[in-house]
Amino acid sequence: MPEPLTFAVPKGRILDEALPVMEQAGVVPESAFHDKANRSLSFASESGDMRIIRVRAFDVATFVAFGAAQAGIVGSDVVEEFQYSELYAPVDLDIGHCRLSIAEPKDADAASGHASHLRIATKYPNITSRWFEQHGIQAECIKLNGAMELAPSLGLAGRIVDLVSTGRTLKENGLVETDILMPVSARLIVNRAALKTESRVADLVERFRALSHKAAA
Amino acid sequence: MIDPTCNLLPEGLEDRLPPDASALARIERGMLEVMDAHGYDFVRPPLIEFEKSMAMRMEGVQPRRMFRFVDPRSLRTLALRSDITVQVGRIAATGLASAPRPLRLCYSGPVVRITGDTLDPRRESLQIGAELIGSDSVAAAAEIVSVAVEALSRAGATRISVDFTLPDLVDTLAAEALPLAPEQIEDVRRELDGKDVGGLKAVGGEAYLPLLYATGPFEDAIRRLSEVGAGGALDSRIEGLQQIAARIGDGVRLTLDPTERHGFEYQSWFGFMLYAEGVRGALGRGGTYHIRGADEPATGFSLFPDPLVEAMTVSESRPSVFLPLGHDVAAAAALRGKGWRTVAALSEREYPAELGCTHCLQDAQAVKL
Repeated sequence: MPEPLTFAVPKGRILDEALPVMEQAGVVPESAFHDKANRSLSFASESGDMRIIRVRAFDVATFVAFGAAQAGIVGSDVVEEFQYSELYAPVDLDIGHCRLSIAEPKDADAASGHASHLRIATKYPNITSRWFEQHGIQAECIKLNGAMELAPSLGLAGRIVDLVSTGRTLKENGLVETDILMPVSARLIVNRAALKTESRVADLVERFRALSHKAAA
Repeated sequence: MIDPTCNLLPEGLEDRLPPDASALARIERGMLEVMDAHGYDFVRPPLIEFEKSMAMRMEGVQPRRMFRFVDPRSLRTLALRSDITVQVGRIAATGLASAPRPLRLCYSGPVVRITGDTLDPRRESLQIGAELIGSDSVAAAAEIVSVAVEALSRAGATRISVDFTLPDLVDTLAAEALPLAPEQIEDVRRELDGKDVGGLKAVGGEAYLPLLYATGPFEDAIRRLSEVGAGGALDSRIEGLQQIAARIGDGVRLTLDPTERHGFEYQSWFGFMLYAEGVRGALGRGGTYHIRGADEPATGFSLFPDPLVEAMTVSESRPSVFLPLGHDVAAAAALRGKGWRTVAALSEREYPAELGCTHCLQDAQAVKL
């Protein structure tokens, strides 16, 4: 029997929406996966031909880019942030919609809109500096791993770039959304070499693609 | 006291130690033998050249990624080679310009780049390849692909897989069949490259979506590619690919990915990537291209066999004979003549097993330890 394929899924936001889609494509994790008390990181699939690992969203892209996992599901924000050359995003799963936006304190100084240099707290330093570069601004990014919303009020950075879905968190922290960097949705990602050398990976892509076509029709 | 960091090797560089070093040497020898057997003559260009001559020879070569410095003699910028193909192109356009065509050349040597990346931190690698100068026809491409596959399998690669691509596809289609504005082309190529369906729609390349689906096992993918039609713009390419595929023997998995462009900076109508079992990422690539300056078509391939060494960690310990002090010199020479390895003692205090010997010379015979 060949080595099982490894499928990486992100903890958190996207996972709840992704599970039904995975199920339709035949990727069903064993029941221990849903057991909150279970501390395992790796699970078998019900059919036994796959291994499902649950890692942080950014690590999904890294596992797949290095070929440690052959496929996975992750938001397009993560795909854009790394721009790994070994990563393909062949199917837009049309779930996990949100946007990557800039926010600033609602009483911010209007003049700072013309600055040539800005300090920004974000989890996405690459996307952020690329976007600001295109707007002729040198962005100094401070990489944070969470709670970006605190940065402006504590003087760490004037603005933040973060995922926004309803905008409630921003509002509660006295921030307003000023610009959208990119819309985000979840993608099926696969390793480039695995797609070319493993027919099972190509089949997997076909199954997810058929689903997204059905949903669109 | 010695500074402990002074023995560090710079990032992305390593010593190849036994048995890896000899495994790599064996791989190199095997590949060169295959290319030689197919009529390719060995050439040995220098490590360092003028930056300008390396940069101008082929499209898309980026001197930014080379180690560069000023030559104290000529005061011109020199660069360490990052790709031997461009050097062979120079040789074909200068020293061997009058040699009869088609000209078959092969090479092997180290190349370096100024930075590694997260996925592949290596900054030095061994490049082995062959170039068929004077032709970029279907026949030339078929020969190059089969020699490359044979070289890889001689080196011990198993379950070889070849992925075909059409590097100039977007440019060809954008001209007429599926028109794009010049400023759109780069965006469309990028999204096709990442196989990003959502992204491709976002940059207005919706007409190119069928190309993404024409990817996968060769027979299937080529059928879907012919369905794209594009007013016959692709007919000759599709036919060419089918003829090349027919030349490749069984036991090699063939796939097609018409929009692939990783590592195909200068290739023209045809390109291919080579993969093998147990090796993460590609082992080599090749295709058709144009040598600038001579304005000559050519076809070739380059293999980067370093990852193969790790994939084949089967330690084959060759039998070696320990030669005690005062041994029979003629008997030892006779054994070496028969292909044995000998390890001669220099003093009384040496032990055969510690030196990796499997046998010991006794009464002119190799006796197993």
